[in-house]
Formats: sequence, structure tokens, C-alpha cells
Amino acid sequence: MTTKHVIATAHTRSIKNRFARRFLRSLLKMKRSNRLGTGFQSNEDIRKRNTQRIKTAADRSMARVVGPRKIWSRALLFKLRNRARIQVGLRNRCLVSKKKKVQRKEKKVQVISREPNRADNLRKLVPGGDSMDICSLLEETAHYIKCLATQVKVMQSIADLYST
Amino acid sequence: MDGSGDNNGDLGYQNRAESVMNCPSSGMNTNPFYASAWDPVVSLSQPGNFVGSSTGSQSEFSNSPFPIVMENPGISNTCHLVRYPSDSGFIELVPKFPGFGSGNFSEIVGSLGLTECSQIVNAGCPPNYKEANNESTSHGAQRQEDHQLSEETTIGALPNGKRRRRAAESNSPFDPNKNAEGEFQKYPSGESSDSAKELDEKKQKIEQNRGANSCGKQVVKQTKDNPQSREAPKENYIHVRARRGQATNSHSLAERVRREKISERMRMLQELVPGCNKITGKAVMLDEIINYVQSLQQQVEFLSMKLATVNPELYNDVERIQSKDILHSRGGNEAIRGLSPGTNSHQYSHGTFQPGIPVIPNPNPHFSPAHHAILDNELQSFFQMGFDSSSAIDSLGPNGHLKPEL
Repeated sequence: MTTKHVIATAHTRSIKNRFARRFLRSLLKMKRSNRLGTGFQSNEDIRKRNTQRIKTAADRSMARVVGPRKIWSRALLFKLRNRARIQVGLRNRCLVSKKKKVQRKEKKVQVISREPNRADNLRKLVPGGDSMDICSLLEETAHYIKCLATQVKVMQSIADLYST
Repeated sequence: MDGSGDNNGDLGYQNRAESVMNCPSSGMNTNPFYASAWDPVVSLSQPGNFVGSSTGSQSEFSNSPFPIVMENPGISNTCHLVRYPSDSGFIELVPKFPGFGSGNFSEIVGSLGLTECSQIVNAGCPPNYKEANNESTSHGAQRQEDHQLSEETTIGALPNGKRRRRAAESNSPFDPNKNAEGEFQKYPSGESSDSAKELDEKKQKIEQNRGANSCGKQVVKQTKDNPQSREAPKENYIHVRARRGQATNSHSLAERVRREKISERMRMLQELVPGCNKITGKAVMLDEIINYVQSLQQQVEFLSMKLATVNPELYNDVERIQSKDILHSRGGNEAIRGLSPGTNSHQYSHGTFQPGIPVIPNPNPHFSPAHHAILDNELQSFFQMGFDSSSAIDSLGPNGHLKPEL
């Protein structure tokens, strides 16, 4: 386990750096789009929207950094992409016709019906957890936890910079 | 080596069992039979563990109550024969073989008859073990030979019955001299061929130990040791051996492997989740994991909200940082040119702060400074830029109130 741990830490470190880079880049993009964006909304709305954007930017950059090697990162990217498509679709269409609703159904890669299990809650939390067996679910959870912790650390330090 | 050697731990049996481990010459206290390859699946227990109960007593070998006749001096380096007291009541241990570097094993005799140990074979390490079913201790000498033959049997999953019979038949002595050479792996032609074939046929060789087979896991990594074993062809599947006292169904063995995989992953998770050292039990552990993941996700949301409020300022710096990135690629602490219009361009080096800057907390409380040079750079540049352009900061107020639009 020690070797694994060492490898894991080294891996995490580079994840941290890469994530930080990407995240910052995405923040920059957001800033630019904000400039062009709407001035009609109240501060509150702006804030909420930004919150959502920042969160998805963080998730997306983390998933990109991890790459398609893990099940959860693939599932997360898939979900984010679908969500973006839906939103774009809605935006484009809502002006045109309010009756038509574009619904895009997210495809589930696998639908496995199991008996209610204790691990069901875990499946809901980890992206892509529905289609994994317990063994790989635990493995993915471990990696997911590592990456989430990295994400938190980076965001925390960025926030600290500005909170003083 | 007679049983007189150290008895590892308590032997569940009559104490006569001398485990292989007792071979002092081998220098290894543990069962020579254990192969390191077994690691993931089995933690080889110390020689002493023999206890009749299952679990891990890898030192099954030691348990064998058979007297082992060690005849071959040549084997000395490896586990020498272990003398197992042959007790009828005792379950025979799978004689491990030279594959492990151990000496000849005496066959396992016992009322139980033979034990079939499934061997864990990695890529063709032929497990040399013999199943020794020796009915009588009298065959002690022969036992060794019997063991040899079990090698092949170990490879495959042979039904116990089969093994037994075979073993019994194979009591025909193998040449002890062979043992002397330490090539236990060689199977006596007759037997090995049979067993090999059988083994080959099985897709997944899981040998079931008869009941309390203490053979435990034998990982045979001894391929190197036994180059000659013409064991079953290298197979990629994992041989699992049932442990003593455990069921020997192929199903249950497979389940056991799966369970061990799961528990290994749970242990890994236990290390990741803080404060879970004392938790034993999958259910509680799962709950903890769920809570931790939820809390991490909430933290991300909270932080993103926080960042959203601070954002305008962030944007400025982000630009600078981005440009800085571009300029400096990796690992460079270079002065940052003032790129953003709102900030004073200061040249600063990585480690320096502007003297006039008000309290600047260490930007990287969470990072180990040694490791994240680049990130540090960026963050420090954040600081400096943030504080250099005090005007920008002032406009934000103490907490960076959001400007409607920047």
C-alpha cells in the first residue's frame, strides 16, 4: 500500500497543478463571456449564475484533467455536455416557440437493476455510479474522493487570496 | 527437520506437526510454501499460524502432522522436509513443494484424506505440492514422493476425490533423489502428466481443499525455482486455494476472492477518509464514505459560491496569471509583467512580497510549498497583483463586494 500511496500522492500533485491551470483558464473565459453578457439581471441572479458556472467549470476541468481513464470522469463529462446542449437548445428555441420543448434524454449506458443496496446512495453521489459493480464502485469512489479533495484545496486557496 | 523445530504458533493439531517452516536452514521462518505471489489474495501468515481454523493460516503446511522425512540434503536451502506427524485426524496439508523452495513435503495424511489445495498459480508457476493423502504415517518416506506429484495436481482444480485417488496411487515413490536436487517441481512423469492434463482442462483451476485444508494459499511464484516443472502451461487465471476450514466450492472460492477484493478496496478508502481508522465493518464504513463525499461536494459548491462573489477581482488576476503562465510555462518563478491594465506592473520574484502590502496570508496553506512551485507562483502572483492594484481592491471593499459589472 505504501507504494500505492506514494504513487497516488505524486499523481495527485500533478492533478492539482493541472486542475489549477485549467480552472483558472476557465475562469478567465467566464470573465470574458460575462463582459459580453447580460446586464439586465440583478446582482443576485448574476451571482447565482456565476456560482453555477464556476461549479461546472471546476467539475469540467477536473474531469478533463483526469481524462477518460476513469468511469466517473467520463460520466461527468457526458453529463455536463448534455446539460450544456440542453441549455443551448432551450435558449435557441425558447424564443422561437415555447410549446416545443426540447428534451434530450440522457442515455444511460447500462441500466442495471439491483436490489436496494446500501451502496445505492454512493452510486448517486459518484457520477456514473449506476452502472458499476460494487468492486469498481469502490475503486472509483477512492479516486473520486482524491480528486474532489484536490479540487477543494485549489478552490479554497484561490478563495483565500481574495477573501482577505 | 523434525518436528522438534519451532512449532509455529499453536498448531491446532496435535502439536506434532512440524511445519515446513521449521526448516531453519531455509532461513525463512514462514512457510516456504508460501509464495509471495499470493500477496493480494492471501496474506501469508506466519508459520505459526496454523490453527485449525480457517483464515489465513497459511501455514498450513506447518500444520501437517505428518512426519516428514527429509532426505535430501540438497534441499537444504529451501524448506526442508517438514516432518509432519501423521495423524489420522489431521488434515493433510498440501505438501508444498520445492516450488516454494521448501523441501519435500510429506504428504498429508489424515483421516481427512487428501486435501486438495488449490494453488494459486501465476502464469505457470507450477505449484508443486503434492497432495498427499497418506493414509498411514508409515508411508512417511514415500510421502515425500507423493508430494511431488501433487504438483501437478495443484495446478489444476481437481476434484478432491480424484486427487485423492491419484495421490494414493502415486504413492509410488518418486525418487527421493530428485528431491535432493531440489527440483520438486518436477513431477514424476506419471503423475504429473495426468494432473497436468486435468489441470489444463479446467478453465479456472480452483482446487478445493478438503475442508480444513490448511494449504491456504500457496502462491507459486517459484517458477524461477522450478524451472523444470513442466507444469501446466502458463495460465492467466488465478488459482485460488481454499483455506482451512472454509468451504471448497468453486463458487464459494470465487466469492471469497471477490470479497477480498472488496475488503481491500474498503481498506484503501479507509485511508482516504479521515477519521475512519477505528471503524470496522463495511456498513458503517460505507456510511462514512457517503457522508464524506457529500461533504466534499458541498464544499465545492460553497467555494464556488464564494468565488462567484469575489469574481470580478478574480478575473483581473486570472488574466495576469494566465499570461504569466504562458510566459513562464513551468517551474519558473519569474517576474510578472503587469499585464492587466488595472494592476500595477511589478516585477517580483517568486518569493518576495511587496513590503507595503497588507497582510497577505500564506496563499498556499493547503499546498506543500515544496511541491507546487507553479501553483505557488500563480497564487503568489495573485497576491501581488491583487494587492498591487490596491485601487482595485479598495473598490471592492473589505470582502470584495461584487461590483455589478467589471
